Amino acid sequence: MRVCGIIHQQICQLKWHLLACLGLIMVLPVEEAIVMFREGEGFFSDSMTFMAILFGPLLAGLIACANVQGDLDERRYIFWRSKPANVKLLITLKYFIGLVASLLVIACPLIFHIITNIIWNKVLFFKYYVPLPILIAIMTYSLCFACNVVVRKTARAWLIGMLIGGFILVLPFILPLNYRDFVSDVMFLKFGFYMAIILIACTAAFVFALYAAKYDWQLKTNLKVLLWVVAGLAFVLLMLFSSQVTNIKVLDEKQIDPSWGRGLNIFDYAGSNIVYQGNSYISTDKNVISISKIKSKNINSDTDYKSTLQPLLKGYHLYLYPQGRLLYKDAGNRLFLFNISAYYRTEVRGPARKRFYEKIYLRSYKHTGDSWMTVCELDISDCLTGNINTTRSAMRLIDNRLTACVNNSVVVADITNPEDLKIINKKLDVLKTYGTFNYKYRHKEFSISLLPIEDIEPEERIKLSIDLNYRYHYGSNDIYESSIVDVHDGRFSFFLTDEKDVARFDVTRWDKERIYCKFGASRPFTILESITGTPHSFSPNFVKDGKLYCYEDYTLLVFDIRSKVGIRKLGHFVRTNYEITGMAVLEDGNILLSIYWYPDFFTRPDFFTRPEKQKNYLYLLKNPE
Amino acid sequence: MFRMLLWKEWKENLWKLWFCSAASVVFTVILFRIRIIPDFANCVLISFIQMFVVPVIYSLDIFSGEMSNRTIHLLFKIPVPRWMLFFSKYIVSAAGIILIFLITGLLMEFSSRARETQWLVLLMTNSLCGIAALVLFTWFCAFGCQSRSEAASLVAMFSVFIGWGIVFFWSSICEVTWAERFVPYSFTLMRITKIGPVWTFLSHIPAFAAVLTIACYRYVGIRRYI
Repeated sequence: MRVCGIIHQQICQLKWHLLACLGLIMVLPVEEAIVMFREGEGFFSDSMTFMAILFGPLLAGLIACANVQGDLDERRYIFWRSKPANVKLLITLKYFIGLVASLLVIACPLIFHIITNIIWNKVLFFKYYVPLPILIAIMTYSLCFACNVVVRKTARAWLIGMLIGGFILVLPFILPLNYRDFVSDVMFLKFGFYMAIILIACTAAFVFALYAAKYDWQLKTNLKVLLWVVAGLAFVLLMLFSSQVTNIKVLDEKQIDPSWGRGLNIFDYAGSNIVYQGNSYISTDKNVISISKIKSKNINSDTDYKSTLQPLLKGYHLYLYPQGRLLYKDAGNRLFLFNISAYYRTEVRGPARKRFYEKIYLRSYKHTGDSWMTVCELDISDCLTGNINTTRSAMRLIDNRLTACVNNSVVVADITNPEDLKIINKKLDVLKTYGTFNYKYRHKEFSISLLPIEDIEPEERIKLSIDLNYRYHYGSNDIYESSIVDVHDGRFSFFLTDEKDVARFDVTRWDKERIYCKFGASRPFTILESITGTPHSFSPNFVKDGKLYCYEDYTLLVFDIRSKVGIRKLGHFVRTNYEITGMAVLEDGNILLSIYWYPDFFTRPDFFTRPEKQKNYLYLLKNPE
Repeated sequence: MFRMLLWKEWKENLWKLWFCSAASVVFTVILFRIRIIPDFANCVLISFIQMFVVPVIYSLDIFSGEMSNRTIHLLFKIPVPRWMLFFSKYIVSAAGIILIFLITGLLMEFSSRARETQWLVLLMTNSLCGIAALVLFTWFCAFGCQSRSEAASLVAMFSVFIGWGIVFFWSSICEVTWAERFVPYSFTLMRITKIGPVWTFLSHIPAFAAVLTIACYRYVGIRRYI
């Protein structure tokens, strides 16, 4: 049998299918390029290339079916069987010629993307996403090829091939292989098992097709029932052994009366205790949520809260840090808390009402039976240093050192005796470069200023410097209670998120003035993840015990940041008609969430104007390991 | 006679109903059990795949099958108006598509038991995709009712998908909101875009009727194979 002749015949047979598929797959990238060109950005394709590549597996299956059907339909098959042809050789040639054709089709949008992006000097994205769809395309091609040899009907073979392909793709998540994250475990192909499954499926399908063609196996009507029964049994067995993969398990749920407490469902840390709404301790013994009040007087509104904790000054408004929350210190039997109180006047200047900050105090309070009382007050108004119209604040309690930042100044106070705060260091105008938001350098090493305070440990100093650099906003921030920095084996990493991905940056070295960092890895969010919400750069994300916690609106995502395969999603918790208002990570890794429920998914009632419509809940979630 | 025609089409297309239902049920059960992604994302994933695959399966040989098997000669000799032949095929396919989406939507609701979303959100999302699938199938009927082979039917169906995709893409880019309303995909984005549900449905009714009429007219006008 002339091999070259067969190859020529196969190419001629496939050319129209090839051109049709090429037309289909190139429509999206070319359309995107035209739109980009129309908008004056240049003739290049970006995201639509990925969409086109996603169609690759479907088209590969179509090419496979068309390829087989071209020679194995009733009449041609009889013709081939009557010739002294080597069936195995014929099928092998058909398989590989079709495969090359399929890969060519998938390669076209990719080549278009690369060329146009190079010409217009844009960033190439293909390195992240391309390998998996190509592997899947090879698999669907092989499966459809084998199915068509047996079924001998184009459409049905394509459908069955796709169905089997889809099943193989979810199989690793059903089996107890600890597959959790589609991106880290699968898309980047860092776990060889997934790749192995695909390659085994391809090889098995090819060998099966060879034997099926040689021995003329065809799916007869009586065999269909048997196959349905076998498939059904396999499915039931798999379902029996499967379990939840990524969803974080709820251990306990408790509804809170909305009229109870201050209405803001917040948690604060007081040593190893969790304080809820500023007035109750939360206990989670035996995975059951229980609440016990830490004082008899209930603080029911924000006004009460301010009047109880803050002495108002006549003619001044008050801004507190932490905003709406509290920084506790649990000193044996006594509970203290600290805050920064900023007093300001307002004046109408032109069209706007301007603020003028004049007095700033660092205060400590002591819990005395029924209420809190101010026990110490330090005037740190000089920290404003001329910038009196806006203020930004941050605090962090490290052992007995309280570091407080106001505008561009920093104060370190000794709080060994919280009733007698002592300033041990004060640096004015040293934080000018912090909070500039120019983050995410991906291609070069960059540096961050090291906080010029030598009264705290170097590790904490680096952590605080990084936090201040990225979270020191004009508004509320969580620097007082959490950090985005992970310290593991003496190495520092920090994590930044936006709508596109979670990125890890590693600290490479530091000197007396600067910390040097470089981009380490990223974990992109998928389209499906963005449906239920992804965190953005201002989300209250934080790192604790090797895990990154991100929550936004009604979605909580937990990532393993010390995994060998990079940043790996461990779990998610979603309640689409809820709003997550606060979270705390317990010592055992379990998570406490405070959320409120609103009646409709898309029309949230105003939290304060319609409190009767809301329901408050506390959730205890299992540690996602 | 019309009932007998419906019965014939039902029997011929029963495998599609079985196949699509089985595949949908299997993947719904698997994904809602292992929960790799949230329930709502699972629902969107399954519904979108269904929106494209189910009309493709129904359009494969609903018209071209009669031509490739040469049974169209026999069919046209039955003493019934041709529009009845067309509508027997269309009604059975539409019923099949609705049934598949209904089964899947109900199964999603049952599997999720409102654990992550409100009751009926998943069913509603799936149903909107089902309506979009039905509209896409109707558009296919207008384009592909004279197809002679499965391959030609597939090309017609893909042309409908891509054609509407291009219209949707350009109308979004150029902010032509009235054009967006006529795109079948607008049903799926009804809750996200500013297009109100009433307007979306009202816009589609005349278009739907017109397309169905054209499809019927084209089917009745088949002459060359008799």
